[in-house]
Amino acid sequence: MSAPARGSPFSGRPPVRTERTFQRFNRGQRWEHAALILSFTVLLLSGLPQKYRAAAWSQHILATPERVELLRTIHHWAAVLLIAEAAYHLGRALWLMSRRRLSGAMLPTWGDVRDAAGMLRYLLFLSRERPRFGKYNFEQKFTYWFLFFAIGILIISGLILRFPLFFTRFLPGGIIPAAKLAHSTEAIVAGGFVLLWHFYHVHVERLNLSMFTGRLSEEEMRQHHPREYERWMSEADAEAQAE
Amino acid sequence: MAGPKRRDAAVLALAAVAITAAATAPFPQGQAAAGARSQWAGTPVAQLLPRTSIQSPLPSALSPQPQADSQDCLSCHGDPALALSLPSGETLSLFISPEALAQSEHERLGISCDSCHPNITGYPHPAAEFATRRELTHSLYLTCRTCHSANYERTLDSMHAQAAAAGRSEAPVCTDCHGAHDVRPPDEPRSLISETCGQCHTTIFQQYRDSVHGKALMRGGNPDVPVCTDCHGVHNIPDPRTAQFRIQSPELCAGCHADPQLMRKYGLSAEVYQLYSVSWHGVDVGVYKSHWPGIWHESAVCTDCHGVHDIRTAQDPASRVNPDKLLGTCRQCHPTAGPNWTGAWTGHDPVSRERTPFVFYTQAFYRSFTPAVLIPAALYLALQILRALAARIRRSLP
Repeated sequence: MSAPARGSPFSGRPPVRTERTFQRFNRGQRWEHAALILSFTVLLLSGLPQKYRAAAWSQHILATPERVELLRTIHHWAAVLLIAEAAYHLGRALWLMSRRRLSGAMLPTWGDVRDAAGMLRYLLFLSRERPRFGKYNFEQKFTYWFLFFAIGILIISGLILRFPLFFTRFLPGGIIPAAKLAHSTEAIVAGGFVLLWHFYHVHVERLNLSMFTGRLSEEEMRQHHPREYERWMSEADAEAQAE
Repeated sequence: MAGPKRRDAAVLALAAVAITAAATAPFPQGQAAAGARSQWAGTPVAQLLPRTSIQSPLPSALSPQPQADSQDCLSCHGDPALALSLPSGETLSLFISPEALAQSEHERLGISCDSCHPNITGYPHPAAEFATRRELTHSLYLTCRTCHSANYERTLDSMHAQAAAAGRSEAPVCTDCHGAHDVRPPDEPRSLISETCGQCHTTIFQQYRDSVHGKALMRGGNPDVPVCTDCHGVHNIPDPRTAQFRIQSPELCAGCHADPQLMRKYGLSAEVYQLYSVSWHGVDVGVYKSHWPGIWHESAVCTDCHGVHDIRTAQDPASRVNPDKLLGTCRQCHPTAGPNWTGAWTGHDPVSRERTPFVFYTQAFYRSFTPAVLIPAALYLALQILRALAARIRRSLP
């Protein structure tokens, strides 16, 4: 809520331009993202040589049976981290929901469909103006929900692969080869999606480090999240009037 | 044991055992003959045989004396009563069946007796230098290598040579499998090969005889099923209990079971090996085969599920891969597997809706999902890049 001004504390000098920043992600969310980066990267890197075991480059990495074991151990520990992160994320969402404090900003709405259509018009030079996005634009919501389900599939299929004897006690045996196929295919799709979509949007299109700093500048807010910016401004006005 | 006295004793013994000679065993390995004839094709031996038969039967070094006609020898050794008492107490029949000799491959080629018995050049013979029949065999079989040197050298790498080196005198030498005076093509009929091995490997031979391969061989002399030597090799028979043999064994099966023409003949799928090699077990085995063939690895090879010598069709109730027995077979390696476990086995069949619905629908999902996500995402990004470039160019214009 707060948008503290970073003013100059030095007196006697001409006032420097002050820039307000807006909180976008809290500390917990940033830690979650860090855990996600670490586990997802390690899982992808340790999973690829296992998926492509017949390939020469994989066999170069997995040069001894001990290395195969080591790589599997690394993969399993990274999976423990990812599962812990997913459990924390879901648990926190449920806890907030039970107190009616869970923000609905990430939920897809019809407005996102309109935004996507508007963005497409803009990209096809049919419109000069970009849609005016709120706190999370449809690209960001798509990233979140795509990875939400991808990680869900990866965790479930990974657990089936890790504990096949347990799962076939109550599920049909056919789920094991299906889980194997789903696990490795989903990982490739999710990894490719992150590299393509997420990296372009946060690194190439513009450098958006708010997931690490937690904040966006006023200019970034105005340009990329104008509806959210206006909401904050009007709330700030209302507060000022109330005082 | 050599010496004039011993020789006299031997002559006396000849008479002494004359009556019982009919009951004594014939020369050991009388019926034995093994080794695929195809093994000889293209080897120096194959080229050597006809040539020597036309000109000099053997290198002259082997027969310094004018060759004795086999009829000369048979004038004594054609007597069924001729026998020798050995110091070991064994009785050695000295009878050579003229009929068996006449049918032997060597007789056909005109190879004389003294080619293989180079120390016997006349009568009286030199004193016997052996105490047992086995010692006699060991002293004589080395003459085989004079002509069959390539095959002899192969035997030196064999499991049998290892057993002999470990002091097991019963480990087979040339004549144990091929016979001596009655040496014949070892694969006529083809089942003779397996029967020869079965003389010592009796239990395994019984298992094999009841297997799908063995039955086909024994009943109709099937030319396609493997006999012992097809999987184990002929003269250089390796130890089949090593990690290396195990890891290479699927390839051995694939030699026939990946041959579409051969499999079509029997209504079998020729895809089994290819589908195995991309399966969980098969990928693992493939990596070990190419990188660590010397390291023992438990991932299932063909024989772990199908059996080794007792391979049967999956429909056979006694088969280990029969649906009723499959779980027990899985439990050899996965002892805590529940009844659903066998459903995890995708079989040696391509993915299909009927057999493997879970994999089928998962595959169908990803075949549409993957391009449905990644292609529009890539197109969208391409449009974004173009639009951003256009905006930048427009801004740089005056």
